[in-house]
Amino acid sequence: MASHRVFVANRGEIGLRIVRAAHALGMEAVIGVSEADRGSLAAREADRAVVLGPGPAAKSYLDARLIVQAALSTGCDLLHPGYGFLSERAELARLCEEHGIAFVGPRPDVIDALGDKLRARAMAEAAGVPLVPGTGEIASAADAVRAAAEIGYPVLLKASAGGGGRGMVIAHDAKEVEAGFAKASAEALAAFNDGTLFMERFVPEARHVEVQLMGDGKGHVIHFGERDCSVQRRYQKLVEEAPCAAMSAQLRAKLHEAAVALAASVNYRNAGTAEFLYDVARQEVYFIEVNARIQVEHPVSEMISGFDLVQEQLRIATGAPLSLTQDQVVLSGHAIECRINAEDWQRDFMPVPGTVTRWKAPQGEGVRLDSHITEGATIPPYYDSMVGKLIVHGASREEAVAKLGEAIAGFEVEGVPTTLPLHAKIVSQPDFMANRIHTRWLEKTVLAGAME
Amino acid sequence: MSGKDTISDIERLIAEFEASGLRELHARRGDFEIYLSNDPDAPGLDGPPSVSAPVARGRQAAAKAPAASAPAPASPAVAAPAPEASFPDGAVVVRAPYLGTFYRAPKPGAPAYVEVGQQVAQDSEMCLVEVMKLFTAVRASCSGTVHAVLANDGDMVAADQPLFVVIPA
Repeated sequence: MASHRVFVANRGEIGLRIVRAAHALGMEAVIGVSEADRGSLAAREADRAVVLGPGPAAKSYLDARLIVQAALSTGCDLLHPGYGFLSERAELARLCEEHGIAFVGPRPDVIDALGDKLRARAMAEAAGVPLVPGTGEIASAADAVRAAAEIGYPVLLKASAGGGGRGMVIAHDAKEVEAGFAKASAEALAAFNDGTLFMERFVPEARHVEVQLMGDGKGHVIHFGERDCSVQRRYQKLVEEAPCAAMSAQLRAKLHEAAVALAASVNYRNAGTAEFLYDVARQEVYFIEVNARIQVEHPVSEMISGFDLVQEQLRIATGAPLSLTQDQVVLSGHAIECRINAEDWQRDFMPVPGTVTRWKAPQGEGVRLDSHITEGATIPPYYDSMVGKLIVHGASREEAVAKLGEAIAGFEVEGVPTTLPLHAKIVSQPDFMANRIHTRWLEKTVLAGAME
Repeated sequence: MSGKDTISDIERLIAEFEASGLRELHARRGDFEIYLSNDPDAPGLDGPPSVSAPVARGRQAAAKAPAASAPAPASPAVAAPAPEASFPDGAVVVRAPYLGTFYRAPKPGAPAYVEVGQQVAQDSEMCLVEVMKLFTAVRASCSGTVHAVLANDGDMVAADQPLFVVIPA
């Protein structure tokens, strides 16, 4: 691996993570930074840092041509996009391909296909992956009642042209479907000039589960188990754990199999995540989408597998085969990650840039911190507010929850507000400790009480 | 200039520039042009230069002088606000809700929300201010006529910085 040089097209904790993974493999790392990040830890640890442009991401981290040019001019043969920014833009993967740089991710046509929700659903269906039970276009209220009986209540009537909740009605019985059909159709007609409706099963208290995948691009795909990311606010994940302790071994096996089948059907290359909705009441999972990149929460899968996913990403990009077989992926214990954002969660999660004047992270067996922050580091106003991820590993979920609580209590941060106090609150909730959570749980309980 | 020679030429030039103690260097050869500066706020060439000075080449260099010439990223150059005394009597000043980037249009290339001379209502959206991906629409807060626009599109503005002057109707 010594003759390879990686261009890191990202910043923050993941930029640093990629630099360190490259060094661990004996590769050189060049990072492209904005002017605001030239003093960052990732820039200091990289073998070389080049300034892409000014602070605003549009003029630096989001300029694919500039990034590929910088990678070429610094003699890099690999390019890692991290997450966010250009990581799921086929354009960047395509430019890399055209200029002989190995993109650390899927092929551009696969990124394109998976980025289109309808095409991704069709691919999932073709691979035998379960989707939310639903209908095509519904012609009348009578048809809607018949369809609802087949799907099972409650159901969601949705406008084909819809968005933003308009033309959307939840119905719990035939009467509500009949009334809802007229209402949703009229709303959709008024809002989108198209009254066409379809129907899906509504899952009231769903969990978000996802499967970590790794493919060699030649049809071999392995998984690293699933993660449960049900603690969310406005569809943003705040706490992630592995495995999903609220799932039977039987359903888990079915979930893994479906995710691997989907990735294998497109000869998926590099790291990816298949996301699913988990209907706990029915003990069923439904496909949502594939994230064609490494994810923020990948460390929980690393903690239970003892395997470095980012290093594997880099190895695969050099053309190496998968370095282990499915049998060799052994998952043990339980891991939980909480995202530390520079936000004032009591002021509606207002992000706060500034200087970190104190940063004393907890240490200990099974405690990991992925962060680019050190005392005196500045958080620029241009990028997202995540400043680190605190991850713990325990023999059981109970042990991991207790360890996370202790780690948060021992974490000292000054200079900017963070979401750590919220995490302290979350891990001490009886519902969280007993694992009685779903994707709306945080908003309906902890936040509903605190914000009033 | 092309290929490997270009890169090593540039690297040599940068090394010489850094050793020289010069503050700025602007060189041109054929259609190739480079501008080097120790001043992070230097305007540089027109448009973003495609190759800028590497900030830390090698870990040793970085350790010696971390961010020697780096601007303080959390307090980027904030456009100087206009003196408030110059606003007409009775004018209402619309201010930034927090430190962030000022956008005059809902998206790049779209027409601005408001122009000078335009009539606005109390709840008319005047601009967006964005910090760390949080966008806030700033409203007029009174109905009247836009008298002045005090910041430029894309400027970093401070919390409470005046953005617009509205003359109430």
